[in-house]
Amino acid sequence: MALIFKIAWRNILRHKGKSLIIGIILFLGSLLMTVGNGVISGMDHGLEKNIVNGFLGDLVIIPGKEKSDNVLFKLYGESVERIGNYKDIKKLLLKEDYIKAFLPIGKNVAMILNEEEGEPGYAMLIGTDFAQYRQFFPDNFLPVEGRLLEKGEAGILIPLKWREEIYDQMNVWLIPEGAGLSRKNLSEDARKNLKDLNVKKNAVFMGMSDEYSSSDIRLPVRGIIRYNALNTIWGHFSIVDIESYRRCLGYFAASDSSQEVKGERKKLLELDSENLDAMFGKSDFLVADTGKSDISGISFKRKELPKTSEGVDLEAGAYNLVLIRLRDGVSLNKGLARLNRSLSAANLGVRATTWKSASGFIGSMATIIKGALVIFVMFLFLVAIIIIVNTLTMAALERTTEIGMMRAIGARKGFIGSMFLGETAILSGLFGGLGVVTGIIMVNIAPLFRITSDNDLVQLLFGGDTFAPYLSAGDILLVLCELLLVTFITVIYPVKVAKGITPLDAISRD
Amino acid sequence: MNIIEIRDLTKDYPLGTTTVHALRRMDLNIKEGDFLSIVGPSGSGKTTLLNIIGCIDNATEGSVKIAGTEITTLDDRKITDMRLHKIGFIFQTFNLIPVLDVRENVEFPLLLMKKMSKSESRERAEKLIDEVGLTEHIRHRPAELSGGQRQRVAIARALVTNPDIVLADEPTANLDSVTGQQILELMRAMNKIEKTTFIFSTHDANVLKYARGIIKIRDGKIVKR
Repeated sequence: MALIFKIAWRNILRHKGKSLIIGIILFLGSLLMTVGNGVISGMDHGLEKNIVNGFLGDLVIIPGKEKSDNVLFKLYGESVERIGNYKDIKKLLLKEDYIKAFLPIGKNVAMILNEEEGEPGYAMLIGTDFAQYRQFFPDNFLPVEGRLLEKGEAGILIPLKWREEIYDQMNVWLIPEGAGLSRKNLSEDARKNLKDLNVKKNAVFMGMSDEYSSSDIRLPVRGIIRYNALNTIWGHFSIVDIESYRRCLGYFAASDSSQEVKGERKKLLELDSENLDAMFGKSDFLVADTGKSDISGISFKRKELPKTSEGVDLEAGAYNLVLIRLRDGVSLNKGLARLNRSLSAANLGVRATTWKSASGFIGSMATIIKGALVIFVMFLFLVAIIIIVNTLTMAALERTTEIGMMRAIGARKGFIGSMFLGETAILSGLFGGLGVVTGIIMVNIAPLFRITSDNDLVQLLFGGDTFAPYLSAGDILLVLCELLLVTFITVIYPVKVAKGITPLDAISRD
Repeated sequence: MNIIEIRDLTKDYPLGTTTVHALRRMDLNIKEGDFLSIVGPSGSGKTTLLNIIGCIDNATEGSVKIAGTEITTLDDRKITDMRLHKIGFIFQTFNLIPVLDVRENVEFPLLLMKKMSKSESRERAEKLIDEVGLTEHIRHRPAELSGGQRQRVAIARALVTNPDIVLADEPTANLDSVTGQQILELMRAMNKIEKTTFIFSTHDANVLKYARGIIKIRDGKIVKR
């Protein structure tokens, strides 16, 4: 072995030009591979950190009726089904030792009625018990105007980005109650139109539900928030107290459960939709269209909101999702499988899915971007492999007399192969290793520059608002394995050529 | 005792639509410790015969036994081992590994054999380098040596494994006459010291006086011995 490496090393020095060309290709290849892996890993790491810790948790329990696991970014108007048995789910979750924490939330879309008779706007609402929410996501957003919701308080927290979109759609600039107009947070258009700015401190929301008759409620704006990461994406989601959310969506609110329902009324409430239809079975189902129907004059009756839900058992009402955080060290897939087994056995009418599946296009885009990056890095390596293979093959053929002579005096094919492998391994070790080290340094330095973006896709690529590539020990090991694989692949054909050289070839060449 | 036994050896080279008959049903016995020269005009089959004896080329037909082993039926691995253990080579020009110095070049076959310790290999290599008179150039690389010195290194390397046969194809072809004579004298001296069979091809009449036996070849056949 020492002899092989001695000859290999001296051959590298003897053919400095070729060695340098191969070395530079290996350096650039391994550098790009390391940085590429760093970007991919940083994206994965960032997305996991920002989505799991900032928005969805590891797993999401969704209603069993949901056709798709994508519950976060459903088409506008398509609502997420209701979970009405949260208390039973909670009992089950408390028994599962691999679950660290869980949070029930409502998630659906609401229409914002335009009181100026213009176009309505739309909002994605997260309904939650805010105290529980902050325990589950302690620092995922900060108020930039106004304040956060207090315990049991009714109201809405609006993201900066969505406020700008609402202004563009409805010409209404929302600010928190009790706060003045903050000029520094005005959008460019709002600033231009400052004199005629239609400033409001509350808005009327009407839930959009397929199943339930929703009602419109006026919600006071308590604060304007900014998500700490992926603000461009999460900036579409407003936070509403759970009771207001339920009323808005027409769900059975927890405070309603305290009202006693007796006798015939209770029977009526317990009827499902088919039985309700049956009750009116003898009546005409269709009515003639007189052409005089005009709904513009209808004035919706707005529900008066209780100012606080304190003292109400919030868990008695309806939710849409339950966010789950797994204990450290529990793998996503194992946790998912265990939870789904338990949910299925308990027959609770719900199922669990991963954050990737629940986040719809975000999870898909992350996979697509990651796939594209992997393909790009692999393509670069393919090009590098082709160039190195050519150079090494030419080097083998140029050394026909030397190799033939070695074979003549008793060197086996294996020795010749090992000699070439040794040369490539030394070049890979030196130049590839240098590329890996340079890549690691670049990956570690990159976050210091705090490169940020407001673009959704770029934020997905970054795995957050800031470009923060990341390399774990496992990633570095992976890069080294990839380098080893590339070395092995590049040497296969040249070794085959070199091993095929016979002493007779050397004599013929001479 | 015959170290080489050749029977009905035929070697044909296909050349386009025709066939070149390099060796035609040749029979030859060579005794152990001989110092033989194979002579003949260009294209007579000298090099082909040496290549087949040296396990570098295959016979088309016939039998070739080296030290009692039939070599025409051996696979690549065994034939390589045969070259390593039984045969030493001295070529015209491409003799040495350019990146190794004199001692390393001579030591090279011993390291491939893996039979000796590193110190034993080194000792054996240095003894032979001393015998060919190159001790003072022991750390020089081939590029730093003259043509004659390189051939001396090749002789030392050919003998280092203590082979049964040393084959030399036109060993003096690229040397001036004085150096050529020195090389042949050295080969003859080594033949006496190491008792190794030497077979060399040449078409130089001056070289023949060193041989103890001469095999004349023409058109692939032995015409005189």
